[in-house]
Amino acid sequence: MTEARGADARTSIHVDELLGHPPAVVWRALTEPDLLARWLMPNDFAPVAGHEFTFRAVPLPDAGFDGVVRCRVLDVEPARLLRIRWRGGRLDTTVTWRLVPEGRGTRLLLDHEGFDPDDEIQRRALRGFGGGWRGHVVARLRELLDALAV
Amino acid sequence: MPRTPAPARPDVFAALANPTRRDLLQALLERGPQPAQSLAALFEMARPSVSEHLRVLREAGLVEERRAGRQRIYRLEAEPLHEVADWLAPYERFWRARLAGLRDLLDSGAADVPAAPPAADS
Repeated sequence: MTEARGADARTSIHVDELLGHPPAVVWRALTEPDLLARWLMPNDFAPVAGHEFTFRAVPLPDAGFDGVVRCRVLDVEPARLLRIRWRGGRLDTTVTWRLVPEGRGTRLLLDHEGFDPDDEIQRRALRGFGGGWRGHVVARLRELLDALAV
Repeated sequence: MPRTPAPARPDVFAALANPTRRDLLQALLERGPQPAQSLAALFEMARPSVSEHLRVLREAGLVEERRAGRQRIYRLEAEPLHEVADWLAPYERFWRARLAGLRDLLDSGAADVPAAPPAADS
């Protein structure tokens, strides 16, 4: 019954945003810790491949999240690409930013990949995230949807 | 026919919280549209209780009912399932909210000084 399981479950997020500022400016907002803290989270980031750092968020004990996102810089191409490993609670994911010049601005592409829909705790984490999901229901639904997608 | 009070608002989650109703949906998914009678036979349940479950599913928009002669045929409606199963939607909302913050920060000019990024090559 579950042969199609997982085939169609969504495991990544893609967001596309056009910003009215050139890539060099957007890059600063992504890579200077003080600026990054102002729109994302407090951090000790450095734009150096291999650098390990954390983001500090509000802990969500019910979701098994201690409030610390443990990260590692995977790839840095100034004003073009930034890829980091993003681990928090049970999540072990990758966040990639791509900056593409467009007119006088920048198209910013975000890929957050590697979510594991089979992990009950990840699903539970969504409740803390404001989703209000009920994991067991979603698990059953996923089976239905997988079958529907065939 | 036994009657139970209808919920104030049809709730897809509440409809799905019941294992029998999930099994009914699964049966409709695997076998295609079915009359209530066949579903009752399948689950060895009394017709009224199957009808009651189907009513809840119908009110939640998860099944569609069609009359054919003296039978009622039930069919799975997949649309609400797709909505509910979008389990990453909260993360997407998180990022969209943060990006709105990024836009505000950029518009404030805080990142404007075009300083060359510090050389950090290896």
